[in-house]
Amino acid sequence: MRIALVSSAVILLAVVAIEAQRGTAVLLVNLPAQARISLSATSVTFPDADPTTTPLVASVPVDITISVRARVQPNGQVTLTVQSTDDLRSGVTVLPPSLITWTVTGSGFAGGILSRSAPQLVGRWTGSGVRIGTQNYRFENRWTHPTGIYSATLVYTLASP
Amino acid sequence: MRKTLWHVGLSTAVVLLMSTSAYAQIATQPITATAVVGARGRITLTGTINFPDTDPFTNPTINGAGLTVQALARVAVGAGVSLTVQAGGNFVSPGGDAIPIGNLTWGTAGDTGFNATGTMSSAAAQPVGNWTGPGAHNATQTYTLVNDWAYAPGNYSVTLTYTLTSP
Repeated sequence: MRIALVSSAVILLAVVAIEAQRGTAVLLVNLPAQARISLSATSVTFPDADPTTTPLVASVPVDITISVRARVQPNGQVTLTVQSTDDLRSGVTVLPPSLITWTVTGSGFAGGILSRSAPQLVGRWTGSGVRIGTQNYRFENRWTHPTGIYSATLVYTLASP
Repeated sequence: MRKTLWHVGLSTAVVLLMSTSAYAQIATQPITATAVVGARGRITLTGTINFPDTDPFTNPTINGAGLTVQALARVAVGAGVSLTVQAGGNFVSPGGDAIPIGNLTWGTAGDTGFNATGTMSSAAAQPVGNWTGPGAHNATQTYTLVNDWAYAPGNYSVTLTYTLTSP
């Protein structure tokens, strides 16, 4: 009789231990859409040059490296544009921003002509990702430009509508 | 019962992972662009001025081939630009004979600002054209030499110097 009771107790203990290891967990992760643009330079300069020998002046630095980071819906469109906030201005004398053009390298990047009236496309992509390319600016150098040091602010805008 | 509850918990977690915002994300970055436009000038002359030998009786004057003149000036708005020409002396032959430089004249056809005519001088620069502000100016000059019986035979030459200035 005593032996039978001991055996029964051992069996009961084993069943309780297995059930205690089960449980549930809930994982919460918030991933909002994000966008970030990085440029390798904060300014570009076109040095003085003879219009006859140098009708197009390359900028210094020669290239701007652009890094575009965007987190969007799977088919969301990502666009990068640039627009001049004003004409190229030297005191009261101005030159049109369209004298500045650019070429690019990198998938999705596009060349163009600078404008004050509307943003110009620099790149377009679909979906999330990191895109890296380079932009090379040129200034149209003419004999008809009045002398001066002309400046303008160029604003890059990264958007995902 | 316990198995059913575990499946519900996993499904709920999956739904939360896919929740993202649908509003537009915008990032901007400005840079400064600067163009340096300095004062410059360039004169380009194309052609040669030769006066062939001709009979002074039938040709009292001799016309040379046209000389293309291009004056390029990059100056401030409103700045004056002038183009002049001056001879280095009289026409002179290797034998020492001379033809007065004043016997050389010219006529000009081209852009506004070029003087229509002129007479060469070695004493003072003669105006060829005048402009205001930056620009490119083009014309053709045709030189004319008096063909005088009094000239001694020979090959005569002279250097003409064009000068582009902006005070």
